[in-house]
Amino acid sequence: MISEEFRRQLHQEAQLWQAEGLIDGTQYQQLETRYQFTNLETVAHNRFILVLLGVGSALLGLGIITLVAAHWQALSPEAKVTLLLSLFVGINVAGFYLWRQPRARQQRLGQFFLLLGALILGANMALLAQMFHVGGSIYGLLLAWGLGVLVMAYGLQITTLGGLALLLTGLGYWQGVLVSEGDSWYRLLLAHMPLLAGLLFVPLAYWCRSSAIFVLGVTLGIAALEVNLLVALEIFNRSPGWIVALIFVLPPALLWGYNDWSWPRVSVRFQSLARRLALLFLGILFYVASFYELWTGPWTESSDQSPSNWAALLDVGLLVALTIFQWLSLMRQGNRQACWHGGRTTHVACLLMITAFVPVWHLDVSPIPVFAVVIFNGLLFLLASSLIYVGLAQGERRTFWGGMVLLTLQILSRLLEYETGLLVKSFVFLLCGTAVVVTGLGFERHLATLKITKGNTHDF
Amino acid sequence: MTSKRLPSGPGQAPSINQPQVLTRNTIPLMPVWRLWVPLLMQTALILSVPAQAIYTQLTGRTVILQTAPVDPYDLLRGYSVTLGYDISRPETLQHLPGWKQVNDESISAAGSSFYVILEAPTATDGPWKPVGLSHVPTVTPNQVALKGRFTGNQITYGLETYYIPEALREQINQDISQAQQDSQKHAVRVEVKVDTQGRAVPISIWVDNRNYHF
Repeated sequence: MISEEFRRQLHQEAQLWQAEGLIDGTQYQQLETRYQFTNLETVAHNRFILVLLGVGSALLGLGIITLVAAHWQALSPEAKVTLLLSLFVGINVAGFYLWRQPRARQQRLGQFFLLLGALILGANMALLAQMFHVGGSIYGLLLAWGLGVLVMAYGLQITTLGGLALLLTGLGYWQGVLVSEGDSWYRLLLAHMPLLAGLLFVPLAYWCRSSAIFVLGVTLGIAALEVNLLVALEIFNRSPGWIVALIFVLPPALLWGYNDWSWPRVSVRFQSLARRLALLFLGILFYVASFYELWTGPWTESSDQSPSNWAALLDVGLLVALTIFQWLSLMRQGNRQACWHGGRTTHVACLLMITAFVPVWHLDVSPIPVFAVVIFNGLLFLLASSLIYVGLAQGERRTFWGGMVLLTLQILSRLLEYETGLLVKSFVFLLCGTAVVVTGLGFERHLATLKITKGNTHDF
Repeated sequence: MTSKRLPSGPGQAPSINQPQVLTRNTIPLMPVWRLWVPLLMQTALILSVPAQAIYTQLTGRTVILQTAPVDPYDLLRGYSVTLGYDISRPETLQHLPGWKQVNDESISAAGSSFYVILEAPTATDGPWKPVGLSHVPTVTPNQVALKGRFTGNQITYGLETYYIPEALREQINQDISQAQQDSQKHAVRVEVKVDTQGRAVPISIWVDNRNYHF
C-alpha cells in the first residue's frame, strides 16, 4: 500500500531530480500520472473535511445513544427490538457499501463499520436476553456470538472478522470448560470443539488466505484436543500411560502430518506453517517435561464420570485415525517436496516414538523419573541443536533463534532447578551471554555470505 | 499476512510489476447476497435468543410462586436479581408423591429434568402449591406442570434471574431483602407464565402489594 507520506516525499524528490537533470520531463510526467501528484492537495483538503465529519457524527451518535438510554425503560418491547435490529442491520449495510468503494480510506471505514456491526450483534443478543429475562451462561452467549460472526466472515472473506470470531469462540470455550454446568446444547459444542475448530476455522484460513487465522484456529483445536484427552485420562485412570502418551504425541504428529500440497484449487499452502507449529509444540513439551518435579507428582485424579465425557472420546478417536491416515500417505508419497523439513520426517517420527514410549513405561510399567528427565533433556538438546544447524544451513533467522532460545532456556532452567553455588551460576550466565552474542554475530555474517553466494549463482 | 484481494472485474489483468495506485479498484465487486445471507442468519440468531421466552409469554398460563430467601451476597448480580423459590429446595418436594421415581440415582445425577405439578390456590392471589412430581406433564385443568432440573443440591426452573434497570437496583434490592427478613413469610412472590411444555418465564415480582414489572 503506497502511503501518502511516500507520495508527498516522492513529489518533492522528483522535482529535485528534474531540477538536477537526473530525470527528464517525460519521466517526471510518468511519475506524476502514476503516483497522482496532482490530487495530493485535494486529498489533504478532503481529509480535513472527513475528520470534521467524523468528529461531528461521533458526537451525534453519542447524543442519540444517550437519548435512547435515557428513555429506554419507556419504550415498549416491540420498539426496543425494532430499534436494536435496525441499528444492527443499518451499520452492517453501511459498512458493506463503504467497503466496496474504490478509495482505501472508505474501505477502511467500511471494515471498521463491519467490525462494529459484529460487536453490535453480541450487544443485541445480550440485550434481548435481558429484556425477556432469559437466564443463561456467559459462555453460551460467547459461543453463539462467535458462530454468528464466523458466518459473516465466511460471507465477506474478511480476516479481521474471522479473527474476532476465533477470539469469541476461544473465550466461550475456556469459560465453558472451567464451569461444569449448563445446557446440553452447549456442552455438546464444547465436547466436540477439536473437530469443530478444525472444520470451521481451517477452511476460513484458506478462504481468507490468512496464516494468522490458521495458527489461531489450530491452536484452539489443539488446546481443545488436550482438554478432551485430559477428560479421557479421568475415564481410563487405570492405565494412564497410553493416554499421557497421546497427550504428548498426538498434537505434533497431527500437525507434522498435515499435508495440503495434494489439495486441488487451493491458493495458499499451510504445510510448512503446520510443521513449524509442530516443532514449537515439541519444543514447549520437551522444555516442560525436562523438569524433575513433573515426573514425581501424581498424574491422575479420580473424579465422577458423566455421560458427556464419552463424547470427548469420539473426537480423540477421529483425530487419531486422521493422524494415522496422514502419516501413511506421507510415507507412501516419500516426501517429494524440496523444503527443508522434507527429509526430516523420519527424525521427527523417531522423536515422537521416544516421546510416546517414556510416559507409557513410567506410568504403566514402573516409574522411572530420573531416566525420563534425562531422556527429555536429551531430546530438548537434540531439537535445539538441530534447529540451530538447520537455521545455519538454510540461512533462516527464525529457526536459528528458535534453537538458540531453546538451548539457552534449557541451560538456565537446569541451572536454576538444581542447587548450584553462586559462582557456578555467574559463570554459566556469563558463558550463555557471550555465546548468544558471538553466535548471533557469527550467524548474521554467515547469512550475509550465504546471500552473496546465492546472488553469484543467480548471475550465472 | 493480510488478506489479499483478487484483481477486479473485466479489463484489469493482474500485474505484479505495477504498484497499487490508490484510486485503482482493488476490491472485487462483491455480489450483494454475500452480505444479506449472513446478515439474515445473524438476525435469525439474535431473534432465536428470546424466541422461546416470547412464545411462553404469549401462550402460557399465569402462575404465582412463593420465593424463598437466597444467599444475600448473591442477591444482586450485575443487572439482575437472583431469585430462589420454596420449590427450589429438595426438602419441600421430598414428601410429595412421585419423588422416588424422579430422584432415581442414574437419572438425577445427569441433571435431567422432571415436572413439578402445581395446583391453583383457593384464594385468587395466593401462591400455587406443589402437589406432585412426574416425568410427563399431564395435568388436570386447575394444575400446571413446571419443568425443573437438578443442579447441585437445588432445583432450577429457568426462573432464577430477573433483570432490573440500573437506576432502580438499590431500591428494589433493599425492598426485597427487607420484605424477606420481615416476620411475614409470604411477602415476596413472583408471577411467571408457564406453557404446556413446562417451560416458564418470569413476568414480574410482587413485594407485598407492590409490583415490579420490567
